[in-house]
Amino acid sequence: MVLFRPSFTCITTLAVVPYSRIPQSVTIHPVALFTILDHYLRRTDQQDRVIGTLLGRRTDNGVEIRSAFAVLHSETDEQVAVDMEYHRTMYELHHKVNAKEVIVGWYSTGSNLNTYSALIQNFYSLETAPHPAVHITLNTGLVEGEEAGVKAYVSSPVGVTPKAENCVFVPVPVELRLHDAERSGFDLLVDASKSSSSTTAQPVPDLEVLETAIQNVSSMLDRVLAYVQSVLRGETKGDPAIGRYLMDTLGTSVGVGEEVGGFSGSLQDTLMVSYLASLVRSQAEVSARLALTTGSSS
Amino acid sequence: MAAPSMAAALAASLPAPSATPATPQPKYEAIPASMAKVIDIEAEIPLTNVQLDGMVVSKIIKHAREAPSTTAHGLLLGLDLDGTLEVSNSFPLPYHAHDDDEKSAKTIARHQAAMLRSLKEVQADDSVVGFYQATTLGAFFNQTLVDTQAIHQEKLRHGGVVIVHDISQTARGNASFRAYRLTAAFMDAYKKSNFNTASLINHRLTFSSILEEVPLKIRTNPLLSSFLGTLTKSIPSPVADAGPNEAYEAAVGPSYSALDLGTGGVTRNLEQIVEAVDAYRAEDGNVSYLIRQIARERAKADNYIAKRKEENQARIAQGLAPLPEEDVSRLFKIPAEPSRLESLLLLGQIDAYAKSLGDTARHESGKNVRGESERRDLI
Repeated sequence: MVLFRPSFTCITTLAVVPYSRIPQSVTIHPVALFTILDHYLRRTDQQDRVIGTLLGRRTDNGVEIRSAFAVLHSETDEQVAVDMEYHRTMYELHHKVNAKEVIVGWYSTGSNLNTYSALIQNFYSLETAPHPAVHITLNTGLVEGEEAGVKAYVSSPVGVTPKAENCVFVPVPVELRLHDAERSGFDLLVDASKSSSSTTAQPVPDLEVLETAIQNVSSMLDRVLAYVQSVLRGETKGDPAIGRYLMDTLGTSVGVGEEVGGFSGSLQDTLMVSYLASLVRSQAEVSARLALTTGSSS
Repeated sequence: MAAPSMAAALAASLPAPSATPATPQPKYEAIPASMAKVIDIEAEIPLTNVQLDGMVVSKIIKHAREAPSTTAHGLLLGLDLDGTLEVSNSFPLPYHAHDDDEKSAKTIARHQAAMLRSLKEVQADDSVVGFYQATTLGAFFNQTLVDTQAIHQEKLRHGGVVIVHDISQTARGNASFRAYRLTAAFMDAYKKSNFNTASLINHRLTFSSILEEVPLKIRTNPLLSSFLGTLTKSIPSPVADAGPNEAYEAAVGPSYSALDLGTGGVTRNLEQIVEAVDAYRAEDGNVSYLIRQIARERAKADNYIAKRKEENQARIAQGLAPLPEEDVSRLFKIPAEPSRLESLLLLGQIDAYAKSLGDTARHESGKNVRGESERRDLI
């Protein structure tokens, strides 16, 4: 559907509009970001940017973006069109699987906001009414000189007689939110992206993960130790703030004598559990093999 | 090996030149020589590994986290290239707990078709290459998984894979994904839907030979890699007296969930082992009851035959015509030998729970040893 033929340009300002329902903050989950990046990779040659719908939940004073899906659209000098039917179908499909997620706004790649953005924003505002729609711009960092990043905006009408093609995009702070489970998946991807072939083999043994974590902590301790020693030698001027934080951190660590026997006691328990586990496994194996032999003898 | 068959396939797809000499030949884009070895139209190159895209990783984790218990499952989309199955997208399937089977199956099929159509419109891959399943504590053996994979293995090109994602291990800080296929031996037995003792022996089936693991790799595309790089880069904070948490601003800080000393998972794991063992005992009871019944019926039938033979001999001795030897199977109903599949799967579950328990214990003892030495250092 053709939304509108533009005749005005959009203004972007930092003005804070007093509006009660405007979300104070936007949190975004990695899934949504990765979906946008994938959509951008799969765009056609004619497309400068891609857009799509953001799904998520509204909290008291913010919006949590939990997933996203691509929407077809086309932009020319003269007009912009968004496939509304496609958007509706996809929303219904997503809604069936996760009924808690509702439309909260839309995304586009690149960081410029133009008249078309205002028009699309107007369309999504109708979809999210009575709540305001959130607009996320994701800069993929492919254009030289531009930093990759994510920005969030809400819109407010401008002018004496508000028109669809005019609006003010007000920036809203945006934050990447990771749950524990998402966190470990994210770490996995970071590992993959750092390796030269940008792949990692699965599964990673638990102990290896533990080892990496311990090495990490140990290298951090070394860094702190080096800093403290250099302060003691008088080579660096001590920062009182860092000193206080170190004091606090050491104060919260396990009190000396408090956990005597705790670790060795629980070590015994875990060894017992480990023994039990291997016992169960061998029993299961024996049972499966016995099922094969009883038949052959009869 | 693929080249001649591909040439044949290409030749078949071209219209025969002799039949229509006048019409211009339609132009087919030739497959470049460098790719000729790796593109197989006939699906002849066997799958050797699976490559999972970063987006799919995060999508599966999200779905598994949000769905109730282990009900999260969905379809994997992608392509295969030179023996590598590249999974590039996925979508969750709705879960119906109480609907009747036929209705929910229809809804799922409709959902799947609509989603595939929609994804195709935005240039995403739209060929189904398998499905994923969330699990806790490593026990993913169940009838549904085996059934679904068996259908896929029949219908999909290359048979497809099932990717199993372990929620409990992911919560411990080590996201785990594994790819599996049903073994040929199991498929053979499954097709005949014959899981009695003789068939198990013929196919050498134990729980460890139901599924074979396919090596799995996680891949991030260059765009995602660079974006992740930006997210994890730390920049000194512009705030002068920022706390240690804010002193370096990265969108994502380091994580230490792997160092958590809590052992809450062990109790649950033990409980689940006990439950699985109970279920196995119950199933074992059923099977042995059936076997006893079979033995009883068979003994009755044997008795009957023996008696009839004796009688006939007596009649022959007296010079009378022998009685006909009737078909005993009509007189005595010998029940079919019970299927061992259920108990096989339960054993597999017990094994998986125990394995995950063992892994946890090893992990814990590692942490404990470390903690002990740290404590000594402090003193």
